[in-house]
Formats: sequence, structure tokens, C-alpha cells
Amino acid sequence: MISSAYNQTNIYNLAVIKEAKRWFKSNFIDKDQFIAIQDAYKTPFYHPNFLIRLTLFVATLLALSGVTGFFFLIFADAGKEAISAMSVLYGVGSFVALEKLFIDSNHHYKSGVTEAVLYHACCFVIMGIAGITDFNIHVIIWTCLIVFSFSAIRYLDLLCTIVAILSLAYIIFYEFYNMGGIFQQVIPFLFIIFFTSVYFFTKRLTRKAQLKIWRNNLLIVESASLLLIYLGGNYLVVRELSVNIMNLSLEEGQDIPFAIIFYALTVIIPLIYLYVGIKKKDVVLLRVSLVLIAISVFTFKYYYNFGHPEITIIFAGIILLLVSIGLLNYLKVVRSGFTRENLLTEKWGGMNVEAFIISQTMGGNQTAAPKVHGGGGSFGGGGAAGDF
Amino acid sequence: MTRETPKELFDKGLITEDQFQKIDLIISGKLVSVFYELRSLLYLGVMLFTTGVGILIYQNIGEFGHILSIIALAILTLVCFWYAFKHVAGYSNEALKAPTPYFDYVVLLGSLLFISVQGYLQFQFGWLNDKLGVSTLITAAFFFYIAYRFDNVGILSLAITALASFWSISVSPQKWYSGNFFEGSHLYTTAIIFGASLAVIAVVFDKRGIKKHFTFTYLNFCILIFFVGAIVGLFDEKITALYVLLIYGGCVFAYYMARYEKSFLFLLYAFISGYVATTYLVAIAMGDEIGFWFLYSIASCGGFVYFLIKYKSFFTQK
Repeated sequence: MISSAYNQTNIYNLAVIKEAKRWFKSNFIDKDQFIAIQDAYKTPFYHPNFLIRLTLFVATLLALSGVTGFFFLIFADAGKEAISAMSVLYGVGSFVALEKLFIDSNHHYKSGVTEAVLYHACCFVIMGIAGITDFNIHVIIWTCLIVFSFSAIRYLDLLCTIVAILSLAYIIFYEFYNMGGIFQQVIPFLFIIFFTSVYFFTKRLTRKAQLKIWRNNLLIVESASLLLIYLGGNYLVVRELSVNIMNLSLEEGQDIPFAIIFYALTVIIPLIYLYVGIKKKDVVLLRVSLVLIAISVFTFKYYYNFGHPEITIIFAGIILLLVSIGLLNYLKVVRSGFTRENLLTEKWGGMNVEAFIISQTMGGNQTAAPKVHGGGGSFGGGGAAGDF
Repeated sequence: MTRETPKELFDKGLITEDQFQKIDLIISGKLVSVFYELRSLLYLGVMLFTTGVGILIYQNIGEFGHILSIIALAILTLVCFWYAFKHVAGYSNEALKAPTPYFDYVVLLGSLLFISVQGYLQFQFGWLNDKLGVSTLITAAFFFYIAYRFDNVGILSLAITALASFWSISVSPQKWYSGNFFEGSHLYTTAIIFGASLAVIAVVFDKRGIKKHFTFTYLNFCILIFFVGAIVGLFDEKITALYVLLIYGGCVFAYYMARYEKSFLFLLYAFISGYVATTYLVAIAMGDEIGFWFLYSIASCGGFVYFLIKYKSFFTQK
């Protein structure tokens, strides 16, 4: 089993401090208590805030591109095999540098620098192996799965976790697709069965105390599995993939095999999520189900539209408004453990972020001197006004 | 962080029993907040509704029954603001707590419907036809009023974008991507002046204690507009020195504002713009010697990373 490159106690302490900070910001504890907790759970980690991490990430990538450029200048004429082999070596070297230089000596923990070096290392190892094996797809996807799973587990990286699980999904799809015949037909059901098992297995892992430092990674796997179960049974996905990749030709009025099952799954899965989410007070299920309901509506509108998208949009808006206002009223008091009040502030819940989203998605970007025909430029209704 | 952590902190005496009871209720999942979920739904509802209405009006202009729907929308707009005026507390220079959970969204809905109705009236009756700009200015003025009266920072950002678009400056990354930052030529001069003037206003308001929590939004827009304008000017004009000086001046301002607002974001804008300007100067001096540029990227970016980490205590305060 791969262990983490980071010291477990330090990770736990950092998580406690982060959580205590949320409590402090939400006025559950006062400043002295927060400082006391910070002292009791000391951690040597260098883990700055998100913006600094982003800055460091980009700057490190630029600096690394300079390093790579130099190497390339020196070895440009070495031939394809040699370059591929060196690329693997260089990637492995980057992993070693990451551990020794940044994690061990300087206590970087997800500092932006570590992510940049990590992704850099992953890319060179994968590209090198791809080059050696003459870009064999089987090798590439299995290498991706192994390299990204390793990075996800050892460096607790969340993006690597997502890519690893997507690689896994793609492997299942690709391998069965290549077997052809009946195997292609069972892919949707295989997805549903396989990722349902992954979901329940992950749920079990989440409860294990010794895996607590991987809690966020497991959360990602959990949500991704829920999403992949749904996509496996979604009518739109199955139909489009059947037609475009598996060369299923549909005549007018024909439908894909087992169409009724996929219609049913498209409707039922989000509702099951929603029901179980409410019943068990599972926020992950709840949030995923909301997104999936939207995708399901889109799926049906995609095949059965009545030619008036604007009417659909207006009604969707009205329904959403009514539902959310209804729920806000209903949850004025705590009902079966749900409340409308903001208990703990979320990282992205700040009003400045909200203001930015409003300015980017709503109107207000209309320009004063548009040559748009019909003068449509001043209907700022949806930020899309300039496009007519 | 596990479900046992609150208990652990309580046992160590770091939090009181009362606090433990409250926190444990949330961490254990016995009490679940759907605050952000419901707000997202509300927001999405407002967005879909107003978008749909905007398209509907645009497509059916002049048709029978159309006047009726416009009247309905106008009434709905009035209802929104009637609701807002009914519930709002008196004007204050400080931040106000929304009187009801939907208050901010009602104000948002009213404001967006206002644009639709206003745009329709203007088109249908040919008001201000040759002066489309004036209507944008009216929108901006109205949004500023709403933002201050109902203490809504979202509407403030709409007001600033509307005001910027009166000067033909488009504040949207989507448009920058397609190269439409400025609708005409030489508008970067406008952008620089606009950014600088807005900054002055923001600082004056802040010093007078008028809605201090709006300052961040003002500064965010004006620093961004100023830098983009200056950088476009740098690439476009022959007077390099002037624009480089402007950018460096902007960096100094952004630095002080970053310290004042405790926001690393402004510092980030300054770093990027300063880096672009400096690199431009170096490029003039060095030409396109490829080996040098690899060295440059290692030295400058590596040095920058080192600098950020070395003075981490200074930066993490923000």
C-alpha cells in the first residue's frame, strides 16, 4: 500500500486549524480560542491561501518550462527513443525532487509549487512511456491510471484523483468497446454496476479512521462515482455514443435498443439520489442530484423540444424560483435536521465572489455603441444580448 | 479533521461545553444547512427567468399581446421594488443584513427586469435613438442608486460594468478572449483614465466611510481596467516609456490597496502587469535569442517563487 509523502499528524493538525478558522469566522469560537487551537495543533507546513497557491503554481510552471526548454535544446537531436527514455527519467527525477527538495526539506504542503512539480512529473513520465511504446492507447490509459492514482494517494492531490477515476472509466469503456459485439452493448450496465460498487466501497473507506487524511480524495471519488453511474444510464449519453462511436444507424422513428430502460434510468437515478440524500441527510448526494436533475431536463428537451426555448427557460426559471422560495419558507424552522440558515461559512461563499459571478453572468455588459441590428444591445437580459 | 475532532478539542479544554454542543451538532451531520444550495437555486431561477424574458421580448417586438406582456413585466418590476422598499431599513453607510432571505434576489430580479423593460421602451418608441449611450448611462445611474440604497454589492458590479460600457469598455473575459476588449481604437486611453478616476472615487468614498465594504469591488474593477488598458497601450503605441511608467505607477497603487484591503488579488494583478511590462522592456533590449529566454523564465519565475516563499509571513497576512 502506498503511504502519504506527508506527515500524518501534520496533515491532521492543519485540517483542525482550517476547520477552527471556519468556526471562528462563523462566530462559534472567539479569537483567543482560535489562537489557542492554533498553538495546540502546530504544523510546520507551508500552505498559503488559494490565490498565493495559484500564483506560485503558474510561476513554477513558467520556470519549469525554461528548464525543459534548456534540456530540449541540448538533446534535440538525440532521436525519438532516447528522448522518450530521458523524458521518463526526467519525470521520475521531478518526483524525487518534489519529495526531497520541497516536501521533506521545506515542508511544502499543496503550496502551488508542489502541484506544479507534480503535474510536470506526471506528464513527463506518461509522455515518455507513450513515446517508448509507440503511442499504444492501451499502454497510455493504463499508465495514466497508475501514475495519477499514485500521485493522488501519495500526494493527496485532488485533481489527480479526478483524472485517475476518469482514466478508470475510460479504460472500462475502451477495453469493452474493443471486444466488440455483445460487450459493447453491456457497457452502460457495466458502468452502473461497477461504479455502484465503487461508491459503496468508498463510503466504507470514508469511515475508517486510519484513512482520515484521504477524506477529501474519497469525497471526490464518491461524487465522481455517483456522476458516472448516472452517465452510464443517461439516455442522451448512451444514444449519442451508440450513434457516433459504435456506428449504430437509426432510421427515422427508430430508437436505440432498450431505450425504455435508459429513459427510466434518466428519470429515476436523480430522484433516488435526491430521496436518499434527504433521507440520510447526505449533502454529497443532495448536491449531485440537483445537478443531475438539470442534466435530465436537458436530455428530454434535447429530443423533445417544441421550438420555443425561451418559453422553456422562462418556465424553468419560474419553477426554480417557486421551489426555492417554497423551501426557504418551509425551512424557516429546522425540519428533519435541515435548516435554511448559514451555519458554517463555505470557502467560496463570500459576497465578493458572488458579486463577480453576477457581473459575469448577468447583463450589464451591453456596450453603448453597438452596431447590432435591431438595437438589441441594450437588452442586458442574460449577458447573451450582444450575440443576436 | 474527523467527526471526533470537536470532542477532542472539548476534552483538551480548547472549546467550552456550550460551543462543543453547537459545533458537534453540525459536524456530526445531525443539523444540515442547505443555505448555499437554496441560494444557488434562487440565483439560477432569476437568471433563467430574466434571460428567457429578454429573448422573448426581443423576438416578438411589435406583435399583438406584446404590450400586455411588457405591462406585466413593468408591474413585476414595480412589485419587486415595492417589496424591497417595504422591507429595507433606512439608508446606512454600513453593511446591512438582508431583512429576508430572498431580499437580495428580489432586488436583483427587479434590476434585471428593469433593463428589459427599459430596452423595450427605448426600441419601441425610439426614445434616445441616436443616443444609445444615454440609456446606458441611465441604467448605470439607476443601478448605483439601487446598489447604495439596498446595500447590494452584486448590483454595484452591474452598475460599474454599465458605466464602463458607456465609455465603450467591455468588462468581460469572454469578450477579451475574442479580442473585443475595446470596441474602437485608442480606447485604452479611455480605459486608463476611467480606471484611475474610479480609483480616486473609491478611495474618497472609503475615506469618508461611505459603504467601506464596496471598496473592494470598486478597486477590483478599476485596477483590472487600468492595467489591461495600459498593457494594450504598451503593445500598441510607440511611446513605450510612458506606458511602462503608468504600469509601474499602477503597481505601486495596487500594492498599497492590497495592504489596505488585505487582499492578495490586487498584488497578483500588480505582479502580472509589472512582469509583462518588464519583460517587454527586456525583449526590446535582447531580441529573440532563445537560450536567453529559457534562462530568463527560470531566473525571473524561479526568483519570484523564491521571493514569495522567503517573505511568506508578509504575504500570508493578507
